[in-house]
Amino acid sequence: MHFSDDDLRAALKRKDPGEGFTQRVMARVEQAKAEGDRQPSRKGLALPSWWTRRPVWAFAIIALLLLGFAWAGYEYSEYRHDQTARRQHQQLEEAQRQQQEAEQARDQAMMALRIARSKLNHVLEQAQIPVATDQIRRQRL
Amino acid sequence: MNRATRTLRFFALLILYCIAARGFSQNAKLQLDILNKLGEKAARSTDITLDGSMLNFIASVIEKLDDEGDQDVAQLKSIIKGLKGIYIKSFEFDAPGQYSKEDVEAVRSQLGSRWTRIVQSIDKRNHEHDEIYLMKNGDKVAGVVILVAEAREFSVVNIVGDVPIEKISALERHIAANDDDSHRKKPKKGSGHDEE
Repeated sequence: MHFSDDDLRAALKRKDPGEGFTQRVMARVEQAKAEGDRQPSRKGLALPSWWTRRPVWAFAIIALLLLGFAWAGYEYSEYRHDQTARRQHQQLEEAQRQQQEAEQARDQAMMALRIARSKLNHVLEQAQIPVATDQIRRQRL
Repeated sequence: MNRATRTLRFFALLILYCIAARGFSQNAKLQLDILNKLGEKAARSTDITLDGSMLNFIASVIEKLDDEGDQDVAQLKSIIKGLKGIYIKSFEFDAPGQYSKEDVEAVRSQLGSRWTRIVQSIDKRNHEHDEIYLMKNGDKVAGVVILVAEAREFSVVNIVGDVPIEKISALERHIAANDDDSHRKKPKKGSGHDEE
């Protein structure tokens, strides 16, 4: 392939990049910087420098944290135990209350039937009908 | 007769049937609140209202009660099984003439044609007029009213439902004995007869 001088001159001629070239370049730079910030920093993952310089303090803090967790766990188990005991106590009280209500209801029904029986038998006796109430039984049949 | 008229007639009959059925099921219960005014004059008054829901509650709780061997509870269970309500108003007075004939009539007037008087006892010497009325629904008893109108006592017992009268009448003596104990603590002045 043969190129003439004119062809080379035309190819190597300076060209105008157009309007907004600077803005486009700056936008690309900003974008690259933002992407760089999103990448995890190796520095953040590294142990702090004081850790290596004061290991006693570091272990003391870890020990304190462990003690704290142990204490919190113990307190939580105590709290759960209390809650369970309280719930059982409430259930027992509720059962006793229901038992009392049941007994009261039963007694009331018994009283009603006793009065009914008393009045019924009184009327039957007044009418000189034997309490066995054959007549009533016949009426029912 | 066009279709619309037939439909209309059908619904009218249905509504009438519902109203009749409702009335039929309810009218064994008497309105006894009208007697509440007697409570002011009475030396001793007893007012017991055990409606259907209460009896259902009692039936359900006595199932739970640990009284399997208890004869009272067994009797109670068998009696309240078919009942829909027990309503009692009982007034005992210190002196005679504390209630009027109108009070008795107010109760008696509620006992319509469906009620049958099965027992009547009149003792004019002692101003005693006792009656037992029964309402039947087919072969079953739908309600009972026991009316005790005596010189110093006026009591109405209204039991709604399939009342096993013979069981109530023959309630074990020891159940009544419990009642006697409670009454002995509060001696009566009137001519009541709960202490049999």
